[in-house]
Amino acid sequence: MKLVEAVAEDVMVVEAYGRLDSTTSKVFGDRLISLLQTGRGSLVVDLKNIAYISSAGFRALLIANRAAAGRDGKLALCGVTGEVRRLFDIGGFTSEFLIFPTQADGIGKLRP
Amino acid sequence: MNTGSSVPPQAGLSASCEIRIDNNLSEITRVADMVDDFAARHQFPEQVLFALNVVLDEIINNIISYGYEDAGHHEIAVRVALRPGNVEAVVEDDGKPFDPLAAPAPDLTSAQREPGGVGLHFVRNLMDEVTYTRRDGINHLRMMKRLAP
Repeated sequence: MKLVEAVAEDVMVVEAYGRLDSTTSKVFGDRLISLLQTGRGSLVVDLKNIAYISSAGFRALLIANRAAAGRDGKLALCGVTGEVRRLFDIGGFTSEFLIFPTQADGIGKLRP
Repeated sequence: MNTGSSVPPQAGLSASCEIRIDNNLSEITRVADMVDDFAARHQFPEQVLFALNVVLDEIINNIISYGYEDAGHHEIAVRVALRPGNVEAVVEDDGKPFDPLAAPAPDLTSAQREPGGVGLHFVRNLMDEVTYTRRDGINHLRMMKRLAP
């Protein structure tokens, strides 16, 4: 798993690559929380390049989502397609998150 | 890097691979590496590889996190076999008896839901057939996924 981070229009963007599973999700979740705590409060997480996500990855996303809400921030997801999207639906996670088709859509909605 | 052993095609069994791992979460990387290699070699459809990786992570994570009553060393065997029309993954462990099929379905409607329980829900939904047996102190979990949806 690899994370590529950027800032666009005062919104942080994190692109995740590879596996979001029980071996990587702790690092992934900790990084999201740390980014949410360091200021801007708005975070777009792009999942379009992940290989797969298991319940450990969803757990990290749910915790980050709650942390964002608790700080009056916002967490948005994008790139939720194909099999990843199917798992969001099977797990009942689709309605728990702000989901946008692309990074640009997420940044547009979250920018201050 | 050892990513497990691979067996060439035989009658009734197209190909298979197997790995034995320790009860340590970092070992799941070796399982995923083996599955990725095997899937690439045999050109599994993308959704089959995705499903296999998810369910193996869920099952092995469960075994390592909750399956043992001692803090000692244990081995978990993982086999993946390609058969005509389907792929079968078998996981064997010597932890306490646990039938993932008997686990209650999670409440997906609660606003303050906890994510626990959803992993086994994924297993039941992503696989076409799941069979659990307990023999001689070993849990055997067999999970089958058809190659064509």
